[in-house]
Amino acid sequence: MDDEEDHQKLPDLVKELILRLISQNNNNTIDSPNPNSSHFQSSLRYAHRILSSRLTPSVSPDAAAIADSVKRRLATQGRSSDALSFADLYTKFASKTGPGSVNNKWAVVYLLKIISEDRKNTKNLDTSVLLPNLGLSDAQLGKGSGSRVSRGVEKGWNNGILLVAKDSENRREIAFREFVNLVKEENEVSEEVLVRDVIYACQGVDGSYVKFENDNVGYVLSDFVKVPRATRTMVHKLCELGWLFKKVTGFISRSMDRFSAEDVGTVGQAFCSALQDELTEYYKLLAVLEAQSSNPIPLVSESASSGNYLSLRRLSVWLAEPMVKMRLMADLVEKCRVLRGGAMAGAIHLHAQHGDPLVHEFMRRLLQRVCSPLFEMVKRWVLEGELEDIFAEFFIVGQPVKVESLWREGYRLHDAMLPSFISPSLAQRILRTGKSINFLRVCCEDRGWSDAAAEIATDIGATARRGGFRYGETDTLESLVDEAAKRIDKHLLDVIYKRYKFKEHCLAIKRYLLLGQGDFVQYLMDIVGPELSEPANTISSFKLSGLLETAIRASNAQYDDHDILDRLRVKMMPHESGDRGWDVFSLEYDARVPLDTVFTESVMTRYLRIFNFLWKLRRVEHALIGAWKTMKPNCITSNSFTRLQHAVKMQLVSTLRRCQVLWVEINHFISNLQYYIMFEVLEVSWSNFLSEIDVAKDLDDLLAAHEKYLHSIVEKSLLGELSQSLYKSLLVIFDLILRFRSNADRLYEGIHELQTRISESSVSSRNQSKSRKQLVDKSVDQGSWIADGRKALTQRAGEFLRSMGQDLDAIAKEYSSLEEEFISQLPVQQHVDLKFLFFRLDFNEFYRRVSPN
Amino acid sequence: MPREIITLQVGQCGNQIGMEFWKQLCLEHGISKEGILEDFATQGGDRKDVFFYQADDQHYIPRALLIDLEPRVINGIQNGEYRNLYNHENIFLSDHGGGAGNNWASGYHQGKNVEEDIMDMIDREADGSDSLEGFVLCHSIAGGTGSGMGSYLLETLNDRYSKKLVQTYSVFPNQMETSDVVVQPYNSLLTLKRLTLNADCVVVLDNTALNRIAVERLHLSNPTFAQTNSLVSTVMSASTTTLRYPGYMNNDLVGLLASLIPTPRCHFLMTGYTPLTVERQANLIRKTTVLDVMRRLLQAKNVMVSSYARTKDASQAKYISILNIIQGEVDPTQVHESLQRIRERKLVNFIDWGPASIQVALSRKSPYVQTAHRVSGLMLASHTSIRHLFSRCLSQYEKLRKKQAFLDNYRKFPMFAVCAPISYAHSYIDLLNTTAASVMYFVSLVHLYVVLTQVISSIKNGQDNDLSEFDESRDIIESLVDEYKACESPDYIKWGMEDPNNMMTGEGSDSGSLDPKS
Repeated sequence: MDDEEDHQKLPDLVKELILRLISQNNNNTIDSPNPNSSHFQSSLRYAHRILSSRLTPSVSPDAAAIADSVKRRLATQGRSSDALSFADLYTKFASKTGPGSVNNKWAVVYLLKIISEDRKNTKNLDTSVLLPNLGLSDAQLGKGSGSRVSRGVEKGWNNGILLVAKDSENRREIAFREFVNLVKEENEVSEEVLVRDVIYACQGVDGSYVKFENDNVGYVLSDFVKVPRATRTMVHKLCELGWLFKKVTGFISRSMDRFSAEDVGTVGQAFCSALQDELTEYYKLLAVLEAQSSNPIPLVSESASSGNYLSLRRLSVWLAEPMVKMRLMADLVEKCRVLRGGAMAGAIHLHAQHGDPLVHEFMRRLLQRVCSPLFEMVKRWVLEGELEDIFAEFFIVGQPVKVESLWREGYRLHDAMLPSFISPSLAQRILRTGKSINFLRVCCEDRGWSDAAAEIATDIGATARRGGFRYGETDTLESLVDEAAKRIDKHLLDVIYKRYKFKEHCLAIKRYLLLGQGDFVQYLMDIVGPELSEPANTISSFKLSGLLETAIRASNAQYDDHDILDRLRVKMMPHESGDRGWDVFSLEYDARVPLDTVFTESVMTRYLRIFNFLWKLRRVEHALIGAWKTMKPNCITSNSFTRLQHAVKMQLVSTLRRCQVLWVEINHFISNLQYYIMFEVLEVSWSNFLSEIDVAKDLDDLLAAHEKYLHSIVEKSLLGELSQSLYKSLLVIFDLILRFRSNADRLYEGIHELQTRISESSVSSRNQSKSRKQLVDKSVDQGSWIADGRKALTQRAGEFLRSMGQDLDAIAKEYSSLEEEFISQLPVQQHVDLKFLFFRLDFNEFYRRVSPN
Repeated sequence: MPREIITLQVGQCGNQIGMEFWKQLCLEHGISKEGILEDFATQGGDRKDVFFYQADDQHYIPRALLIDLEPRVINGIQNGEYRNLYNHENIFLSDHGGGAGNNWASGYHQGKNVEEDIMDMIDREADGSDSLEGFVLCHSIAGGTGSGMGSYLLETLNDRYSKKLVQTYSVFPNQMETSDVVVQPYNSLLTLKRLTLNADCVVVLDNTALNRIAVERLHLSNPTFAQTNSLVSTVMSASTTTLRYPGYMNNDLVGLLASLIPTPRCHFLMTGYTPLTVERQANLIRKTTVLDVMRRLLQAKNVMVSSYARTKDASQAKYISILNIIQGEVDPTQVHESLQRIRERKLVNFIDWGPASIQVALSRKSPYVQTAHRVSGLMLASHTSIRHLFSRCLSQYEKLRKKQAFLDNYRKFPMFAVCAPISYAHSYIDLLNTTAASVMYFVSLVHLYVVLTQVISSIKNGQDNDLSEFDESRDIIESLVDEYKACESPDYIKWGMEDPNNMMTGEGSDSGSLDPKS
């Protein structure tokens, strides 16, 4: 390169630069600045003066760093395209070496940067300001007001402290040189080398002195190197970063290797990539530092002039922030080593609760990346019901189950995978929403939900696109879930109610299994009754099914929906020898998909238990009413007994009365038990159930309501755990009542027969027929009664009545003791409704009077 | 097998209230006057086949027999707007159309004569039903046909359908106004005997009380028959709602009555109904909750049987049983609260000798009949104060009987006639007088002897006395009154067994059929 040429070129370049700046600054006043104008001349002069001075900036002469800062500034100002083009230009500029290129590239870039900054600072100043750094000359030129000039000056000097080196003190320099020699003597290794080593260490590479020690687990300066303690500590401190870095990169590379394997998962991948992005930033910094580290560390005297070097101290400042981040990352990496999926996100989230805004912001950025796969899963699950979770990272787990248990067991929350920023209740909602969709799809074979889902997607999608649907925006997540849950659940309930007629089926179960349809039950009892008295193993369930069919056709049940009637079946429970049909007969209701989710097998078993109890009760009631029919007043026409002996007649009257009074008591008990069952148990539970159905928002509510309904029936009708002893004594009472019925029947049969004999005997003896009774009874012992004559007749009647009376007395005694026992148990029951039963049974305080205790 | 119930409407009154009853049922079931189901009434969940059956052309036909000895009322029905409802084969009118002349004996006698025809009709109806539950008889006890023929029918039904229930809706005469039927006490007494012995349940419709209710509660100055009959039809239809709208309990007549009538002999039921309205009259009662309704039902002024009891007796009177049939939209929880309140305030006085409680049946309201009230209630109750009604019947009978008044009308009929041998004896004695000391005299004397021995033997048999039927009836009613009275005491169980006098009176009487306890 020719010096001459260079010298010629330079002034021209300077001139042109000034011209450009003036024309840019002054484009409204002077369109084309005259190179010969005095203004231009003075500016040129001023520029020359500056150039010839020995001003140096305090910034380290690092072209790349300057370029970087320009880039960053452009980027922060939002002019990313400018930044890009700048970067492009800069690389071209920097790559130009060889002849004709600028030697001092850094200086050029720096100058341009300073100028541009100044221009920005003086933007609102007068157009007269040409070059900010020339503000002084402006003042000299008398252009612009004084105050503005002084501001311009200040601004101009804000850019850095301009040091004016004075070369006069040679002595000081000598002293410094001696000091340096001293230092060099003391240190085996120069600081530059250490700095480079530290920087290497920070990148996980062993330097010449700083090496990774496995036993010490960290980078250490080898002990053989002779350095002052302070330096050693500092190196040690700085090298922590390297150790941390190694951990992080180790984790990343380990994870990368196993990306395809199951134990990393998408969340892990996201985590790694987020970490890598952070590391990129770190690498950039290290690159800069490395570049700077090549600059020699000046002596104290030199350091005043050129700052672009790296000492250990400077390094520690530079690395302070990366250290915090790296420590955080290493910490996370340590925590997350064994974790996956939601658990990992949760663990990371725990670190996000940090007061330091730097950390907080860092964590937020990281978490947004880490959680994005999770949020994607939530979205898919909530909107489409798809469990897109190949690596089992989601906090919802599906398992293959039978259709009827899909709702209850098909999906569940995996607590370990539930990140802590999703509250359990929200998680429940998320779970339910997707479950609802799956339920609709699988059990209900419904496609309508997709419309609802699409609607939500459009509604929520808008907010999600606005950048809301990610970590940190819990509101958006919640509103998405809520919205989805609301619509899906509504749709689900609609389907259950309308298409699958949930309420109708509940009502049908109430009417048939809980005997609400009285006429049907009565016919069934009438026609099935005789059959059921046979031993259980001789009963054909086909025949019973036929009878059930008959009962349906005979009663109002025939007007019911065929779909409902088809589901009603006879069920024979497993029986043991000696069981009668009564013990094993029951009705069954086939709920079918999807309602079998509500009416599961265990639910139906409970229904069957209730049916069994109610059926027994109904049978007893039936028997009692049958007994009443035999006691009808016209059955015993009094006429016939006039001719009986007084004593026998008294006996008859008293036996009949006893029978009646016992009947009254038993009937009171049974009918009030029935009323209790109807009002306090069935109807009340039913009406509560209905009102709960009305407010049910989702299938879970519905299930809960039904569960409550069933539970309250079971509890109140003495079938619960607490009332087992009551239930047992009730069954004993039932048996006794059935015995009473057969006794009463026998009594009345006997009296009828007696009546017939008497009228026959009076017919034969008086030859008169007054009795209107038709003599239908042709039993064998009829003859013997008549043959024995009146006396014998009377005697036999007396005997018969006596034995019947004794039987009745025995039953009455047993009954009253049983009933007393039963009633005395009632007030001490836990269940409040049983007190209602007591209240009903003792409405006129009869029992209280009979047994005051 | 709808547990069919066949209704027998006998006599003028019986047919009138029966007609109202069917009108009401048709309205409630959405059946048109022609017997065709209205379009709006296809989804009811109600049971029409208890009281109706369907003819070949899908017409609903009441299971009802319309029986009368005089044509006026039945002709009215046949010319009225419901003429096409009934099965015309089921209408019985006597050939002569002369009625029974308000004479029980005449009605009874005529009943005997036409027994075949009527029983044919009943048999046909009974055969047409799958599982006949029983009969309902509508009649009055004071007139001739309803009381006499009704009594005969009760006895006949007992013989032929001894296993079936017989329930009656019996109208008791208005005792506040002088009746044009002077022999009303005789008729009542004779009918009451059959109601006691041959009916399973008697719903007492006391015209005195119905009039009182119409005047006092409905503010009608001069209630017409149509108005009181509409009260009756309301009661009748309400008491059958549980049979027509099946529910958990009380789905058949037996089940309904069994708990109401714990003592078979005391089967006379009082009724009460609230809120009462007649033909879109302005509502007097605004608020109807279950408690209000149940409380009002217990008030004497709403009960459709007049109580003649003195205050002392009234305080002794006790409920044997109560069934409240509540219709309308009722929250079942209210029932319990209401019962509790009633018990707390001691509004009901129950028997002491056994457990008893207010039974409550909830029933649906017909969706086709618009009523202003949310809830309405009917009470069926067995109450001991009803004995005063019978006592009054007895005392009126005694008054008339003492005077031997109007007995001739009865003697015309075989049951009360001086028995044949005695009339023969009379004629022989006449002969003896005219043919003194002739061969004929001796012949007559021999005849007289034969006849008199017959008379004596029949006296011994207790069959001779022409008025024995009256005495027998009186004794039975007396014992009924006694039993009701006994129910008021805590010792009812022992009643009739430890009191020898009581037994002795029963034992010693000629009629002899006193077995009040069975």
